[in-house]
Amino acid sequence: MRLASWNWFWYVLVGFLMGGGTIYLWHILKEKHIKLVWYEWILTILSFVIFLFMWQTFIASFGEGEPRAAWLTLVFLGVPIIIMAVVTVRSIQTRLRRT
Amino acid sequence: MNKPIPEKTHYHSTMSRRDFMKMLGLGAGAVGLGAAGCSTSFKDLDEMMDSPLAERKLPFWVKEIDEPTVQIDWDNMEIFPSAFNTLFNPMSWDDPSEYMKIVDRNIESTKQQIKDNVPGYSLRDRAMADANTWGWAPESDVAPSWTGPDVKPSKWEHPTVFYTPEDYGVPRYEGTPEENSRMLRVAGRVMGAAELGFVKLDGKTKKLLYGNIRFENVEQGYEADKFTYVLPDKDLWVICAVIPQSLWAAQYIDRMSWASSNTAAYSRANIYSNRIKVFLRGLGYQHYGGTTGTVGRAVGFGVMAGLAEYCRAGLMVSPQFGMNIRTVMLTVTDLPLAVTKPIDAGIINFCKVCRKCAEMCPAGAIPMEDEPFWGGDAPYQAKGIKGWYQAGKKCYEYMLGGEPDCSRCQSVCPFTKFDQAVMHDLVRMSIATTPALNGILRKMDDVFGYGKEPDPNKTPWDVDPMDIPLFGLDSSRS
Repeated sequence: MRLASWNWFWYVLVGFLMGGGTIYLWHILKEKHIKLVWYEWILTILSFVIFLFMWQTFIASFGEGEPRAAWLTLVFLGVPIIIMAVVTVRSIQTRLRRT
Repeated sequence: MNKPIPEKTHYHSTMSRRDFMKMLGLGAGAVGLGAAGCSTSFKDLDEMMDSPLAERKLPFWVKEIDEPTVQIDWDNMEIFPSAFNTLFNPMSWDDPSEYMKIVDRNIESTKQQIKDNVPGYSLRDRAMADANTWGWAPESDVAPSWTGPDVKPSKWEHPTVFYTPEDYGVPRYEGTPEENSRMLRVAGRVMGAAELGFVKLDGKTKKLLYGNIRFENVEQGYEADKFTYVLPDKDLWVICAVIPQSLWAAQYIDRMSWASSNTAAYSRANIYSNRIKVFLRGLGYQHYGGTTGTVGRAVGFGVMAGLAEYCRAGLMVSPQFGMNIRTVMLTVTDLPLAVTKPIDAGIINFCKVCRKCAEMCPAGAIPMEDEPFWGGDAPYQAKGIKGWYQAGKKCYEYMLGGEPDCSRCQSVCPFTKFDQAVMHDLVRMSIATTPALNGILRKMDDVFGYGKEPDPNKTPWDVDPMDIPLFGLDSSRS
């Protein structure tokens, strides 16, 4: 149960990862002159929001002594995030290939 | 003295780290961790009352309504005679020897479990339970009397402690009902009430008082004899205080034997009751009410005060505390109060499809019927509400007959949750606004593993003591 006692660390970690990831993504888009269309923005932002929600529930569920709920949250919310991420990347790739 | 409330633009933070994290989201929450972790500090009660958190804050999905979600037939409502008519009194049983047999079985079973060193029921577990049980019940050293503790100023140290307004030579405290309610909400939290609601005694709500209370045209109420209490016939309000029990302890043994989280809560309730009476006395107002079995029906007043909704188990489910409410401690006062209305958080509709408490009740005492019904035919019940009437004897037989202090229905209720995961609030929001999803949410509660029987090998004796919330109360909701 140390995960629960150290849950502040996991929140800080995900903060850094999300912040760093956003900056990295921003640079990639700028460097390669990629412009996202509106639905790609929606999917990207939605993925971020759901990821935050999933992470909070994952850590908090361990804190509540409910490991099963924690892992199932990863499955139930992780799969849609992966699908949205794949759809977004494929959409960008297809668009770039066309142009 | 009633001081005018100053206009304030800044309030001290009473937000917990967890609330702050929830509000900001995870990444930003981490940045603000240090700032929000600072402890709350108020200079005085007035400043605490200024805090917006002293107002009744209901989540936006909880509606205030005029009549409770449980149907009540006020015209034909029976007044319950007294707490002595419940099944805790052997004389309420058709055959009192039946009760005594259950008690004997309890003693035998408890002794055997101690001899067998059963985890959670061993000698040290029992000793812990006994220690926490101290202070409960009418026989206890701290049991509040009908008219409150007989406090007197000390001649030596702190000589003005327990002074009344007359002793100070000032008039009694005066405030508007709204100010008084807000003041009590602050004071109640300090004294151990997780939440407060207020009910005015009128033609309807007087029926929730026990039958051994009578009104007389007197200036002050009094205790007529050991079983009869008198209230003055004037405007009176009932202060209804939620006394939660330890959800932290329930994760080890949800039958509440470990650390006696249920009786410990009654003990805290008694201490709270004495303190709120001393507070009212210090303001110059009347106060009445003894232990939990003295004033009236805890569930009835709790529902009317909007602290919770009536539920399938015949108890209360609160949007904040779930079913983990041990009691609603009642105090009658003549301090004018702004009443709190009943609430609708979709709970009773959820109960109709959920049935988790009934399915997991080891005694089979909770009804499985879809809809509530007009009942109350047994001598230990009272007619007047359309509810789910428990088979009380089955419950008591199981609870007292060998598996002491079962509170399984309270532990497994899908509303009884710790408050760390934001997910729980989303579920509650859905229950309140989208009842069509109730069946799925109940199934998901099972799939996610909530409400299962705790692992008997998981023992609180191995926990880092600093990880135990003070008094065993989970810091999240209480």
